[in-house]
Amino acid sequence: MIWVLIFSELAAFGLFLGTFAVARVIHPSVFAAGQAALDSNLAGLNTVVLVTSGWAAARAAKAARASEKPTSRRWLAAAMLLGGLFVALKLAEYAGEVGQGIGLETSPFFTLYFLLTGFHLLHVCLGIVILAVVCRRAEASGVETGTAFWHMVDLVWIVMFPILYLVR
Amino acid sequence: MPDRLDITWIVLIALALATIVLPPLVPRALPGNAVLLALAAIKGRRIALDFMDLRAVPALWRGLVSAWIVVVVLFAWLASAAVTLI
Repeated sequence: MIWVLIFSELAAFGLFLGTFAVARVIHPSVFAAGQAALDSNLAGLNTVVLVTSGWAAARAAKAARASEKPTSRRWLAAAMLLGGLFVALKLAEYAGEVGQGIGLETSPFFTLYFLLTGFHLLHVCLGIVILAVVCRRAEASGVETGTAFWHMVDLVWIVMFPILYLVR
Repeated sequence: MPDRLDITWIVLIALALATIVLPPLVPRALPGNAVLLALAAIKGRRIALDFMDLRAVPALWRGLVSAWIVVVVLFAWLASAAVTLI
């Protein structure tokens, strides 16, 4: 069941990213100007944070499979904390953009940027809730399901980051 | 002793840093974008195989995730190439 959800989410994000790429072909100068206003270093730091969180989640699943529940819970807690840090850094990035007078209707670039990253941020928040739920019992099947969703969120960011922030 | 998960994490961090450092070193957009998106595809595949543990699931799921990575990254590169060439 979790794989059906994961592929539905990947399909939705894929369509979103495809739309972004096509819109960039239509409005190249608008997209170049929008991209120049983004903080790619902060987003790059967030990549490191989310990848590290994914590593912690993978270690939690490995510990759960070995029936080491306390160890699994500790790794899940680390994954959730790092997920929370990702959210905090992303909100700080949004605050900086809003401070520059940038909003959802500033340009087609920012409409798609806020929709894509906002949709992803919602998934990060949902992923933290799912990890918290599976952390209670720390059983292998639950932890594997929760961490599979978390890795999907990680995977989407890894692909989304260069497309939004770096591709010229 | 680091296991596969630790090695994958180190590789992902190294590739994430390369993603930030490399673009200014490749002045031309077309090859620069190819490098960026290839790095994204490599990172995505490592996450899928090692963190998602797709090595242990049916080949169909592994193939679908790999196809998603390739299609999204390739489409983004083709679109960026269109911007450069038009």
